[in-house]
Amino acid sequence: MIQIENLHKRFGTVHAVDGVTFTASDGAVTGLLGPNGAGKTTTLRMLYTLMRPDEGRILVDGLDAVTDPQGARLRLGVLPDQSGLYPRLTAREHIRYFGELQGITGADLANRTDHLLTMLDMTTIADRRVAGFSHGERTKTALARAIVHNPKNVLLDEPTNGLDVMSTRAVREIIRRLKGEGHTVLFSSHVMQEVSALCDTIIVIARGKIVAAGSPDDLRQQTGQQNLEDAFVALSGLEAGLATDPRSATAQTGAAS
Amino acid sequence: MRSSQLTQAMVVFRKELTDWSRDRRSIMTVLISSLLAPAIIGFMFTNLASRQRQVEDIKVPVIGAANAPALVEWLKQQPGIEIVAGPTDPEEAVRTRREDVIVVIPDDFAKQFAASKPAQVRLISDGSSQNNRPKVQRVRTLFQRYSSEIGSLRLIARGLSPVVASPLQIEDIEVSSAQQRAAMILGFIPLFVMIAAFTGAMSIATDSTAGERERGSLEALLVNPAPRGALAGGKWLAGTATAMLSVLVTGGLLFVLFQYIPLQDLGIKFVLGPAQLAGTLAVVLPLCPLIAAIQMYVATFAKSFKEAQSYLSFLMMAQMVPGMMATMNTMPTKAWMYYVPWLGQQTLLTDVLGNKPIHGLVFAVVAVTNLLLAAVVIRATAGLLVRETIIFGR
Repeated sequence: MIQIENLHKRFGTVHAVDGVTFTASDGAVTGLLGPNGAGKTTTLRMLYTLMRPDEGRILVDGLDAVTDPQGARLRLGVLPDQSGLYPRLTAREHIRYFGELQGITGADLANRTDHLLTMLDMTTIADRRVAGFSHGERTKTALARAIVHNPKNVLLDEPTNGLDVMSTRAVREIIRRLKGEGHTVLFSSHVMQEVSALCDTIIVIARGKIVAAGSPDDLRQQTGQQNLEDAFVALSGLEAGLATDPRSATAQTGAAS
Repeated sequence: MRSSQLTQAMVVFRKELTDWSRDRRSIMTVLISSLLAPAIIGFMFTNLASRQRQVEDIKVPVIGAANAPALVEWLKQQPGIEIVAGPTDPEEAVRTRREDVIVVIPDDFAKQFAASKPAQVRLISDGSSQNNRPKVQRVRTLFQRYSSEIGSLRLIARGLSPVVASPLQIEDIEVSSAQQRAAMILGFIPLFVMIAAFTGAMSIATDSTAGERERGSLEALLVNPAPRGALAGGKWLAGTATAMLSVLVTGGLLFVLFQYIPLQDLGIKFVLGPAQLAGTLAVVLPLCPLIAAIQMYVATFAKSFKEAQSYLSFLMMAQMVPGMMATMNTMPTKAWMYYVPWLGQQTLLTDVLGNKPIHGLVFAVVAVTNLLLAAVVIRATAGLLVRETIIFGR
């Protein structure tokens, strides 16, 4: 379970995350939905302990991630914004490397690696160097190494970004499976269909603030829009065109570069 | 906790070495830079030795020796000179480089000589050839000496002091004698070995820091619960290993090379035997951890792989300064010099190669100093890995 209370992060004059509060429960998929530059990546980075919040509290399974980042990392599996691979290593070696860093060894590690390779339908490419991989194959490799230690909480930053249909399906399948196994899954996306198809709870974030939260049905009710996409536009105040807003543009460059 | 940190560091160490060993470019860098030093030194020495030999023992073809028997007899008495009969077409022989220099004594030599008039002697040589210059010069000097000896005798016969005919006395002081040049080349050995250590560490130091971030894999790596010290430590061990490998290859090649270099031809008493090799390794190997640590620290600041490489190039030049200074002008060795990194290695290596006895304790103190400094730098690098500006490269 992940609890976030009144989280703040500023980059210079830009208030990238401005008082975000939410909870992601066990056995549920929580979606962080928002346009580019809304503060999703920054929120996740604070959550997975690579950024320090200016204010606020983050609890991972009740453990304070700000004061005990090491402990929090043990309970997290993360597919970060940047999930670069090592071109000269094979897919299997990637999974093993991260598994060993998590302290998994011997037969345990071999079983877990084989299990993930089968689950992600990667057995045929398992022992090839990733240099020649397609975007989908890379994402699967990055995902497999992120959850090699079977973490209680899984954070995915835009996991299906740029993937083709088949790979997107595979990732969605993983998310559903993780949910079924009782994991806490929190993922970010700017794609409406994604969140509506997968999430139990949607948190709509814009300009660093939460503008709405609830189940897909709740959101439709709140806004009076039948179509979730219309609801999203209404909530995030996108009609003015957020992409051209200079403030959020800086926030995005700041957070993603 | 400590032992699990070590385990994790070893995981990183193995991964970095595997990654490195599959990178053809970094392997080539180590191989080429290791080969460079022995190749340069070997080339310089064989060149020097062959030129030396060429000047020492020369055959001079003479055409018309019968025209000046006294002169030829005098030439034969000069050390290292052998007079042989010249070819029929001397100019052609020189042009085609079959001969470096040919002496032609014309038929009227005896007549002119007897009349105390300048008697002609022709030296046929090819000025465009660099290699035969010392030989031609040597022959020319011989004739000049003969000329002035005869001139002096003639003056004495006429009741004049030969001193009158020598208003100048020119004394040649050859600074770059073969021995000195050889000593200078030998002075480069420590420098080459240190460069090998530096280039050996470079690819892992850049690839595992700035490269890791540029590739976008740093974020994922840092999300692991492994402590920063274990991650930085593993990478550092890998860089240290490749630096040491590079030093071992260079040292080994130099050792093999010096079994074949004809140093005795140059009159140099220099031995690079097992004792000197062991001494050199004992000096340079303990420096490798510090080199790798400093490179990693610097490269961690770089925004990209390329930027890291250019930082490290500057660093390499900086590390060459003490060596250069020691080679250019020999400073008197002071005790403190041993304990300053780089300067200490340079001083120690000069002692080792010059067969100066060194107390084992000095080696130990220098090695421990380097390791402690390396530990400090690695700790600092691990500290960098929690900074947002470093992780996200802003």
